[in-house]
Amino acid sequence: MVATVLRLRYRILGNMLARSPWQLVGFVFGIVGAVAGLSIAALGLVVIGASGLDAVRGVVTIGGALLVVGWSVAPLVAGGVDTTVEAEQLAPFPMTTRQVMLALTVVGLAGVPGIATALGALSALAAWARWPVALAAGAVCLPLGVLSCVLASRAVASFSGRRRGRLGNLLGLLAFGVLVLTGPLLTGLLGLLGGEDGFDAARVDAVVTGLAWTPVSAVWAVPGDLAAGEWGPGLARLGIALATLAALWLLWRRNVVAASVSPRRQTVAGRTGRLRWVGLAPTGATGASWARSLSYWLGDPRYLRNLVIVAVLPVLLAFGMRWEVHTPVFAFVVVLPALLLGLVPYVDVSYDGTAFASVLATGIRGRDDRAGRLLGAFTAGAPLVVVVTVVTVALSGEWVLLPAVLGCGLGALLAGLGICAVSSAYLIVPVPASGDNVFKRVPGQSFWVGLSLMGFTLVSGVFIAPALALAELAVFSGLALWSWLALVVGLGVGAGVAFAGVAVGGRVFDASGPLLLERIRATSGY
Amino acid sequence: MSTPAAAPVPALAVAGLSKAFGGRLAVDHVELAVPSGSFYGLVGPNGAGKTTTLSMATGLLRPDAGTASVHGVDVWADPAVAKRMIGNLADGVRLFDRLTGEQLIFYTGLMFGLPRDELAGRTADLLRLMDLGEAAGTPVADYSAGMTKKVALACALVHAPRLLVLDEPFESVDPVSAANIEDVLRSYTASGGTVIVSSHSMDLVQRMCDHVAILAGGRVLVAGGVEEVRGGASLQERFLELVGGRTHAEGPAWLRQS
Repeated sequence: MVATVLRLRYRILGNMLARSPWQLVGFVFGIVGAVAGLSIAALGLVVIGASGLDAVRGVVTIGGALLVVGWSVAPLVAGGVDTTVEAEQLAPFPMTTRQVMLALTVVGLAGVPGIATALGALSALAAWARWPVALAAGAVCLPLGVLSCVLASRAVASFSGRRRGRLGNLLGLLAFGVLVLTGPLLTGLLGLLGGEDGFDAARVDAVVTGLAWTPVSAVWAVPGDLAAGEWGPGLARLGIALATLAALWLLWRRNVVAASVSPRRQTVAGRTGRLRWVGLAPTGATGASWARSLSYWLGDPRYLRNLVIVAVLPVLLAFGMRWEVHTPVFAFVVVLPALLLGLVPYVDVSYDGTAFASVLATGIRGRDDRAGRLLGAFTAGAPLVVVVTVVTVALSGEWVLLPAVLGCGLGALLAGLGICAVSSAYLIVPVPASGDNVFKRVPGQSFWVGLSLMGFTLVSGVFIAPALALAELAVFSGLALWSWLALVVGLGVGAGVAFAGVAVGGRVFDASGPLLLERIRATSGY
Repeated sequence: MSTPAAAPVPALAVAGLSKAFGGRLAVDHVELAVPSGSFYGLVGPNGAGKTTTLSMATGLLRPDAGTASVHGVDVWADPAVAKRMIGNLADGVRLFDRLTGEQLIFYTGLMFGLPRDELAGRTADLLRLMDLGEAAGTPVADYSAGMTKKVALACALVHAPRLLVLDEPFESVDPVSAANIEDVLRSYTASGGTVIVSSHSMDLVQRMCDHVAILAGGRVLVAGGVEEVRGGASLQERFLELVGGRTHAEGPAWLRQS
């Protein structure tokens, strides 16, 4: 039964890749990345193996913990869990819950991330080569470690995977925020450990020992304990590891059972008369598109998470600058997130999915559609950019730069949206459907998304360069005049690009509308 | 039917409509003339090309060859004008399902530029007609299949189009709502509106429609008045006779229970 499900999983993958050469290219790049990462990890472990027991214990314990945490967070933020086969889809088949869970565990192990993790964990054996006891213990504990990775991701996914779960999406957004902040959190932790002059070995040791008692890394620490002759703690940690596995299994089991008895969707009565943005829009195609676009920006996690980034990125950069925010450089911290925010809807039509048919059916003029979408995105993004600007400028204490920063930030937002008004009339890429897990990974997506976005970022940067140059003059001269000029130029260029984008994109859209719908059906089918 | 000297402009006329997907001809020179004020049924087996034909006729899918015009306006030359006259219920597409049912109908009305105060009344009427009052404030994503179909139908009606193109309108709709909708569509055609409906239910087409076209393999096998097409037999019998593929077996031996 497990073998059948596994074959099914590979068949689905094969069909998906055969259908689209682009997805195949992306998939190959994914494998190349995994192989490269794996080689580096294996090499590093061998080298560390030569440098003493303490070093190996530290690295394996921390590395293992990061693996388990990564696998647990992946279903929330990266769709890292394999969604080709799900418990709900296996429900009609005569399988017991145990068989379903076993099959899904094996499927999780058999994907690219699973294989890479297993090989990476096995390469830790190389590091233990000098200690026979550890080698023997590793042969048991490392597979258990890999198993806890898979079970952790399945257990987490079984919470978030419930369709339309607003709670699930909220959790996802929270996890996403935390993940974005891991860099600063880690630097902060390391800063506590290290002082001004590098790492303090004793403190690192203490952290590793403490960490080894937690469920995420107990299993990884056992071989090292045994090698050091610490049998008591070693066995106790093995107990923790086994208990963790049992707990994860039971938790996952509970959710699988619950999912099999509860309906997939429930309709709750909602009151009438709540038109929200739709109720505020002036009549006409532009107004209607604006209201729809704004409703999605403020309600759909696929858009919403980008607004979270704008709020979080300045915090991240502040960490990077070691909290030295009282500088002119920090005043401009909002410009980068604003620029990125402007480029978010660069494949806006892809996010519609086949619902785009209802736009096309109204016979909307391209210019109205472009304008509605652009205004919707601007209404959602501009207030946030203004608030973040005021806060960051206030923190930097450089009030004279406020107009310049506003000009650069809003200009970058407008210029980006202008670019998107054109690009989204051409481009259709596979994206998660509305209501799907926001972070669902669409195979083959990341490579091309990255490539085209890089190009648009450059173009957007060029548009905002004049305002930035004037802002720089304001910084160096301290004159308010340059600052105000930067505001005028930034807004002027941004508005110009936005208008041009609507006009050009509108003309493209008029010709390409039906083709876009055809390509949406071909790429995603929903 | 007798044809007057100056033939009235049909509500929908398609000529030589063709479309190929990956080398396979899905729609092959389809010709249809849907008279104004008629209730026109489009039937055919799965994969006959009904949805593809309707998509091309309503400006959602560009044909490889052929023309489509609505009340004399070429759909592909002047899409904006043609589409204002069409109320379209497409099959197999999503809706903007993060909006509530009420928001979605209101939004669709705004797209067609209806005045807001007029629209409030129409939205309330449509919600009542579709029996969606209870769920009006619920996101369409949470609707059942039948409720989703009904709200999509409401969106197709909201701008009072001259031509309604309904692809599988009664699929998974409950019998009470279906009967109510049927009444409304009847009085709509009686007042001069035109309805084209694609369906797999021969009984429904025979009961509701005055004209019918049978499609198979991307071609029109027969088209005309319902009485004329079925020629004394039931539409179901006539359909099976024309399309073929009926097997009179008892099914495979392994499926029989005794």
